[in-house]
Amino acid sequence: MEVQAVQGGVPAAEPELAITLREFTLSDADAEAFMSWASDPRVVRFQRRPPLHRRPRPAAPLVPRHLRRRPPRGLHLRQARRAGPRGRRPPFMASVGYRVAREHWGRGVATRAVTAAADAVFAAWPWLRRLEAVADVENPASQRVLEKAGFVREGVLRQYIMLKGRPRDMVMFSIVDTDRGEHKQPVVETHGP
Amino acid sequence: MDHDVLPMPESTSMDTVTLRPFVLADLDAMMAWASDPVVTAFMTWGPYTSRDALLAFLRDTVLPHPWFRAVCLGGAVVGAVSVTPTDDRCRAELCVVLARAHWGKGVATAAPKRAVAAVFGDLDGVERVEALVDVDNAASQRALEKAGFTREAVLRSYCVVKGRLRDMVMYSFISTDPLVK
Repeated sequence: MEVQAVQGGVPAAEPELAITLREFTLSDADAEAFMSWASDPRVVRFQRRPPLHRRPRPAAPLVPRHLRRRPPRGLHLRQARRAGPRGRRPPFMASVGYRVAREHWGRGVATRAVTAAADAVFAAWPWLRRLEAVADVENPASQRVLEKAGFVREGVLRQYIMLKGRPRDMVMFSIVDTDRGEHKQPVVETHGP
Repeated sequence: MDHDVLPMPESTSMDTVTLRPFVLADLDAMMAWASDPVVTAFMTWGPYTSRDALLAFLRDTVLPHPWFRAVCLGGAVVGAVSVTPTDDRCRAELCVVLARAHWGKGVATAAPKRAVAAVFGDLDGVERVEALVDVDNAASQRALEKAGFTREAVLRSYCVVKGRLRDMVMYSFISTDPLVK
């Protein structure tokens, strides 16, 4: 999907960047962009995977399959299914994560990208009722991004996610469709007892 | 299976509630709560109407499960408690269900107390046991709080229960939390 999110009327010391979201392509340019942040320890500090050291081989897909939907500035959207002890629940939830190359920090890129992503997926996915995101308790910058993007802070989940081998406390955020003034079709259960 | 068989006190203390693995012979006891629509009102499953369907669940899900226990009161099986690992190695989800005849006696508090006392040793890598409770299920919320769980957040539009999207209260007990006596 293509989404334009150009924010006007914000005082800036430099020309406003146009933020666009698009899917990754299997191009050298995208692979280079991806490597520029995926190998930066400052960018991946609060990310599960360690920094990449090698660019993916040209003979193989330039971007690993599970990363294909990420735009070059590093935003990704995952359809999340929750599985309980009695089986999977129908999809109504998704989660969002994002990374921004270090040289683009401090200019509101992440906030605009996440805002645009939330708008895009609520428009594109009629089944979506909840979009959630987590931020490490020690990552206040990321927490501010989510708050400014309209996410509601729900609470701190202790020892919630493994980060580089250690469980971390995470702040849970969400946007639900009613936050956006939308009331969608009731969710239909697809499994039996 | 060894149990302490004690006379039933008026209020059930922790001592009379024990946990053990399920066996196929527990099917009828299971049916007592699994078929009860009042018990399953807040569950994402049930009520079971078919003994065969419950048997399949017992045989194919419960018996091979990494941590699924029968809750026993004086030797009788009155409910179930399970702790299920999630996609994250460090966290697992606790579920408790009890037959209605044994509500209001402290069993719903004793079962999770027993579970957290055992599960961190049994499930390798698990540091967090979490439980989701419907926002309207005050009795279960109180039971977990008395068992030493911490109320962390209300997760909005989090679970589908009986065809409705529900807000759920997230509770947790982590490996370093003090066990409640």
